[in-house]
Amino acid sequence: MATLRDSLGDLVADVDGLFLFSPSASHYERFDDVDVTRVVIAAENGVGADAFVELPLGFENVRDRIKFGVEGAMDRGFVTAGDTVACSLAMFGDDADTVVRMRVDESVRSGIYDLFIDSRAEPGVVRDVFEVAIDLGKKGQKGKPVGALFVVGDAGKVMNKSRPLSYNPFEKSHVHVGDPIVNVMLKEFSRLDGAFVVSDSGKIVSAYRYLEPSAEGVDIPKGLGARHMAGGAITRDTNAIAIVLSESDGMVRAFKGGDLLLEIDPEEY
Amino acid sequence: MQGGSVRAALSTVPLRFWLALGTLVLGVLLGWLVRVITRRFLRRAGVPGAIEGTTFERTAREFGTSTVAILGAIAGYFVFGIAVFAAIAVAEIEYVAQFWNAVAGFLPQLFLAVIVLIVGVVLGDKVELVVSERFRGVKLPQVNVLPLVAKYSVFYLAALIALGQVGVATAALIVLLAAYVFALVFLGGLAFRQLLSAGAVGAYLLLHQPYTIGDEIRIGEVRGIVQEMDLFVTHVEAEDEEYVLPNDKVFADGFARVRT
Repeated sequence: MATLRDSLGDLVADVDGLFLFSPSASHYERFDDVDVTRVVIAAENGVGADAFVELPLGFENVRDRIKFGVEGAMDRGFVTAGDTVACSLAMFGDDADTVVRMRVDESVRSGIYDLFIDSRAEPGVVRDVFEVAIDLGKKGQKGKPVGALFVVGDAGKVMNKSRPLSYNPFEKSHVHVGDPIVNVMLKEFSRLDGAFVVSDSGKIVSAYRYLEPSAEGVDIPKGLGARHMAGGAITRDTNAIAIVLSESDGMVRAFKGGDLLLEIDPEEY
Repeated sequence: MQGGSVRAALSTVPLRFWLALGTLVLGVLLGWLVRVITRRFLRRAGVPGAIEGTTFERTAREFGTSTVAILGAIAGYFVFGIAVFAAIAVAEIEYVAQFWNAVAGFLPQLFLAVIVLIVGVVLGDKVELVVSERFRGVKLPQVNVLPLVAKYSVFYLAALIALGQVGVATAALIVLLAAYVFALVFLGGLAFRQLLSAGAVGAYLLLHQPYTIGDEIRIGEVRGIVQEMDLFVTHVEAEDEEYVLPNDKVFADGFARVRT
């Protein structure tokens, strides 16, 4: 058995940082004497860690979760390119059951962290829109799958690069994503075509918008439909991000700067 | 023989004493009932949840009781106290009545004062909790003063009302309160006047929406696309620059909607 421990011990040998994903207090304290940078990545800093990266979504996909944590830690200067870190996280249960060793370098940067933290819209708003889209993808409209397109941030420019398909139900209203009633409203309005436009502070500016960006040079995976194309293209033309719920495969995808950054399966949440 | 002497003893006790005893028993029953009902009522009203975490409640818990139980007990004893006085009156015990009459007039006020004090203390604690919760996002040590000020303001008011109830001269304290309120209103108004006027204009702008997000407008020298509008400010984005204009400026300068 000693040999097994030795060979698996290589996994955490000579690491520069220890990343704990959503650790319990006792799990966190176990590493009090460890002589490396200890970074906590969780929804909230329950253990009072000095180095903390807030996790806006649960990220069922472990790769996305790690990427988000590492990018966040790099952004805040907890680790630098060239460091090797060990990540302890829970893949199957609620307790940490997985250790991942990885090398931090610039190529890790996929933009997931920037998508949430560095977008024009506030991080909380981005998270709320994700939650609405995931919720919509899970339940659909009366049991049938629905598609939806949310353009978040830079609303003034987006409004000028789009035209109304119908009367705007949100005109002169002051609803924000994250308000309790909003999920129901969005669900109803998602039956009709067009995009939702959400401002930087989360106000729902309009529904039923037909986006008219120039789709030149937008490179999104083949096989995605007009909704994704429109969403991807508008993020190239403006500083907005687009969160798209696909009607055909039920996935939630996020675009920024014309690139597909994140793909989430609502069924896993 | 035995039965006859007991009956004789009983019959020597005047009827009014029996009535007084009955009143006392009734008082005990009523007091107990009021106590139970008060507790139930406060629980139904969600009081225990609302005051959870306040210092008074925690102290009460340490003594194995709770604020709701204490309030219930006070209400119960109050009713019982009334019954005692009623019993004394019924029994027509002259010399006692003369002394207790003054007390009887005073007692309800004392009870009220105690209840006001307890409510005040609990309310003050609660206000402190709520305010500090509100400011938790603001990571500024000086902000801790605000919850304390709010708490002691409520304490002060409660103490003032309680003292007024029991008839202590509170004129000086009321002058102090007036000065405090004046400072709060006057200086607050002075400090917040910009925000107030921006908020007043903002209410109009949000209700009528003469312009909305996506419109191109010109306010004074600034021309650009409206990105965001809330109660206090309007964000106007021009070339590479986002202006954040207080709403009162929109009214002071007027605005032009640029039609394209």
